[in-house]
Amino acid sequence: MDETVAEYIRRTVLKIPRGEIKMMLQKWGFLSEAQLQTINFHQIKENISQNVVQLCEENSADIKQAAVLDIIYNHIYPNKRMWSVYQMNKTGEEIEFFDLADFKKKFKRRLRSALINVTINFREYEDNAVWIRVAWGTPYTKPNQYKTSYVVYHSQTPYVFISASVLKSNLPLLCQALVFASNYHDIREMELRSHSLNSLKDIVFKRYSQYCISSQNYVSGFFHFSSQLLFPAADLRIIQENRNEKERIQRVNREIFGDGPLPKLEFAQYKLETMFKSHPKIDVLDKKEPFRCLVKFSSPHLLESLRSLAPAGMADAPLSPLLTCIPQKAKNYFKIRDKKGFFPESFVSP
Amino acid sequence: GVIAFLARLEAQAREAAVKQEELERQEEKLTRLKRRVEELRLQRDELRAKVDLQEKGQHGKEGVVSESAQSSAQAVVEWKIKSIKAMLQIFYLTGVSGKLTKRGVCFCISTAYEGTYLDSYHVDLLTKPEVQIHRHSIPIFIPLEQIANKYLQTDIRRFLAVLSEHLNAYVGRRYQAEQLQEHFSELMEGPLQKNSLCNLLVFNYNVSRKSKAFPLNARLLYGDLCRSLPTEVTVTCTPGAPAALAELATAHSDLFRRVALHKAFRSFGTAEESME
Repeated sequence: MDETVAEYIRRTVLKIPRGEIKMMLQKWGFLSEAQLQTINFHQIKENISQNVVQLCEENSADIKQAAVLDIIYNHIYPNKRMWSVYQMNKTGEEIEFFDLADFKKKFKRRLRSALINVTINFREYEDNAVWIRVAWGTPYTKPNQYKTSYVVYHSQTPYVFISASVLKSNLPLLCQALVFASNYHDIREMELRSHSLNSLKDIVFKRYSQYCISSQNYVSGFFHFSSQLLFPAADLRIIQENRNEKERIQRVNREIFGDGPLPKLEFAQYKLETMFKSHPKIDVLDKKEPFRCLVKFSSPHLLESLRSLAPAGMADAPLSPLLTCIPQKAKNYFKIRDKKGFFPESFVSP
Repeated sequence: GVIAFLARLEAQAREAAVKQEELERQEEKLTRLKRRVEELRLQRDELRAKVDLQEKGQHGKEGVVSESAQSSAQAVVEWKIKSIKAMLQIFYLTGVSGKLTKRGVCFCISTAYEGTYLDSYHVDLLTKPEVQIHRHSIPIFIPLEQIANKYLQTDIRRFLAVLSEHLNAYVGRRYQAEQLQEHFSELMEGPLQKNSLCNLLVFNYNVSRKSKAFPLNARLLYGDLCRSLPTEVTVTCTPGAPAALAELATAHSDLFRRVALHKAFRSFGTAEESME
């Protein structure tokens, strides 16, 4: 077995949390159950990984098989990578017959015709998602297994989720191969990025609760909450100040964000390309040029924190549409310009 | 202790109060709707009376109502009745139901296949300034936009019918593929290749659990997204297979086009039994 393959397997196993190693090796299926029995999974990870490498040596693992373990790891821990969403377009309304075998063949052919030194692996999952792992080399060097790009594609949808590697120059090749293999015409990057792959899917596939009107709502009519239900723990001896305002805020918040879980985004970024508007008498800037400013909102769960702003009294309800439009517009990177018809230039009050 | 017990009682009482309020709201709504039905019936009877009077060549108590106005009003009412009847028929036949919302209508499409209820999907429409889709829970790979562009503005009924056809066919195809994987896995060789719409299935299979030497390869193409049976079927056998198997392949090509996939596989089992 190749030295580099051994090292790669060793490092991949080291990434896995100790309690999960056995499960992942079983999913991998490269080592037999009998072989797995010989490993003590309670020792330190260094030793476990050494054992695994030895067994892989016995089975003569090659890089393609090692790559499968990497896919499995990334499929179970997708949130370790940063994902971007791309949208493909096609003209014409013919029915798509997505043939997986055909897709794989075309993808490999197109990518390899541009760059021979690549390692390409595919893995399909029950939810019709195809995971593609590409390790990039150069025309003169073998693929670097530590510089990988991942692509997740659900057949017969126009969206592709890409976690690019450091080498951004390979992105056009990747995009071209995808478009060719899936029979689309072109592809563009959406301004939507997050670590949470599933949340990105929820946003573009419109899968989350605000868009899924539950049958509960549907059957029982409007949500009309009396104050009794809003404050179920209310003791009648306690007087609620500003109850009407609190109810209004709850109602408005519910209309905007819904009740269920929200997709997980870590930030929203607003790049200003507006002109600084100062008092005509106080001319601060000599030249009239756009005010360069970047506003970035970060949070472990941005939409959830936005939802709790108004009830916590930290902002007015309704919030600025610049913030609330994020799931509907499926973007969290904005450019704000001065032109008419675009968003009003109001920010959430701090 | 006691406090915890009292707290529990309080919680129960609260729950009961919530349920009670819910019930009362439902009843109130029911009485409101019943009243509305009565109102509409009254209106209908009034209009009918007018029509009868018109036909008898008399003028009603209301004075001189011009003939053309009356007949056009009648025509409008008739059209409304017809379209409501058509709507109700759609609701009954295709599992589509609707309810009015603040800004439009929300439709629920229930799908079923062979008597098994499957998923429900919702489409929330706004009716002003023009009919448009506000929210929906339709899977992304169903061509909703195409269907909406064709029918939504001109004929909501047709839009719902076509969308419902697509959804029912999709869940039907998916159901067949799932049944195959669940109940006939011992006859399958290797994975079942499908896609999101389940409109292309490729798999290898054997007809009996015993003879697995020459698996057959099937490729089912569902060209019509509104149908749950394939439009094109190709079944081939591995080279070197006995002639009987080649014949079987041809027979299956035809079978899969006419019979649902899991039913076809079920028939293998009985055919095998009858041969023993």
